[in-house]
Amino acid sequence: MRLHCLLHTPVALEVALPLDGFTVLLGRSGAGKTCLLKAIAGLLPARTEPWNGWPPQRRPVGYLPQGYGLFPHLRAWQNVAFALNGARAERRRRAAALLERVGLREFAERYPRELSGGQQQRVALARALAHEPELLLLDEPTSAQDVVTRDALLAELVDLVRAAGVPALAATHDFHVAALADRLAVLVDGRIVQQGSPGAVFARPADRKAARLVGVSNVYRGRVVETDATRSVVEIAALRLAAESCAGFAPGAEVDVAIRAEAVTLCTDGKGWPARVAAVRAEGLQHRVILDSAGLRVEALLAASLSAPPLGAVLRFDVAPGHVHLMPARPES
Amino acid sequence: MNSQRTLAFAGGLVTAALALPFAGLLWSTPWTRLKYAQGDIAALCVSVGYTLIALLIVMVLGTPLAWWLARHRFRGKWLVDALVLLPLLTPPLAMGLLLAISFGPYGWAGQPLQTLGLMLTNTPAAFVLAQVYAAAPYYIVSARAAFENVPRELEQIGLSLGRTPWQVFWRVTVPLSALGLAAGVALAWVRALGEFGVVLIIAYFPQGIPVKLWVNLQDLGLDAVYPLLWTFFVVALPLPLMLGLASRRQPVY
Repeated sequence: MRLHCLLHTPVALEVALPLDGFTVLLGRSGAGKTCLLKAIAGLLPARTEPWNGWPPQRRPVGYLPQGYGLFPHLRAWQNVAFALNGARAERRRRAAALLERVGLREFAERYPRELSGGQQQRVALARALAHEPELLLLDEPTSAQDVVTRDALLAELVDLVRAAGVPALAATHDFHVAALADRLAVLVDGRIVQQGSPGAVFARPADRKAARLVGVSNVYRGRVVETDATRSVVEIAALRLAAESCAGFAPGAEVDVAIRAEAVTLCTDGKGWPARVAAVRAEGLQHRVILDSAGLRVEALLAASLSAPPLGAVLRFDVAPGHVHLMPARPES
Repeated sequence: MNSQRTLAFAGGLVTAALALPFAGLLWSTPWTRLKYAQGDIAALCVSVGYTLIALLIVMVLGTPLAWWLARHRFRGKWLVDALVLLPLLTPPLAMGLLLAISFGPYGWAGQPLQTLGLMLTNTPAAFVLAQVYAAAPYYIVSARAAFENVPRELEQIGLSLGRTPWQVFWRVTVPLSALGLAAGVALAWVRALGEFGVVLIIAYFPQGIPVKLWVNLQDLGLDAVYPLLWTFFVVALPLPLMLGLASRRQPVY
């Protein structure tokens, strides 16, 4: 399925995407992602292809809003049966089968308020599937969950969506969701600036805004000082870093440089660049170490197996050329 | 602590003062000599029967308007709001006079209606008309607030699950606004049943309970009002009380 959507109000937005499997649309909060999904569902005036001009009740989409939007006055099975026609017993049987598919058979009689966030989400998924959609729309699928359970629930949800065999479009600002996608599209300033596999987009974001969205901690303005066939050297303040794939940047060109925190390594052999440890934060099984290298802030993510360096310590760091990603210079927002 | 006690004491005093007339009724009713005056039963039938009709009209006409006001924004909405509130803010007697001016035998609307066979003075139709004017604004204001409390998104999801707007209204909007709608119905019921001022002017006949109470008081004296007064309470209060209690039992979503 190929999707095209043009929206003027409340935000100007134009999006064209091939949709197969689990597609994630990554954009900042307030970038108009919710509006886009509503427009596709026919709930906001917009040009959409397919289904242009169809009223929402005729569009074969399953819309899961942020917070899931279960009907609070209906039990789980009644929520699922909302879209089903036929005799009550038959609707009930089919709702039970759908709840079974999302692993909630024994919760059929519960009201939404008696279910956890993750369970509510799965009821909402079963309800959307009951309508036999050709496309699932998921708005911020991780917003109502706490960090501890988020990743597990998300992986489960993605598996369920894949098992349902319906293409899905999830809008999110959370790059953890994006990492699970079959295909990732990055929404910046009302249009898609980049799309591809999550691996490709994460490694090579198109510009500094895309880099921020895919979770790159270190984004700098730099200048290319020399290039040859396979690598170039970029100057960032007092740093000089080698980068692979200089594609199209001539010496002297201004560039934006993206370096993932995971790619910053500490050196013990006296090479690399000196820096002072300005802060250390525990982050799950890792340490996020904030370095100050002659006024330049560099974030490094270190495995917890390495002991965190003490505050104020002076050490040396480096980045492998393969992880220094050059992008066309864009104004900082 | 001290100021709280003072507040509680003052609150108790006010409550007692409010309850005083009702206690007085209990005390003063001549329980052994209760006897309906002539026409009391007829007044009861008139009140209940026509109030039910008026209530039905108010709901059928008021619900779409309330929904429209709750869900749509348009230029000049403030004017519609004001017009809905106008009958509510007008003193009942004045409202009765206004209706008489328009719908009376020589009124600009009353005269042509009369040639069509619809007489709107001292007829059942006039009685219902007066009640509708008295009760409709209360219902519309309550119903509108009730509709506004239903999350828009739930209605949108209902649509995207393949239901028509009409089906969504009945299966999502109405159940989720049921309490507010019920409160509106209860308020409208009490207003319509108890309406005196508007009814007195354009529908002295047929006599419902309020006008009959007044007639009994004038013609026969205070003793003659007790049976009908008690009947009035017994008829008027169960519906609002039932709805009020139901709303307390209802789970909070």
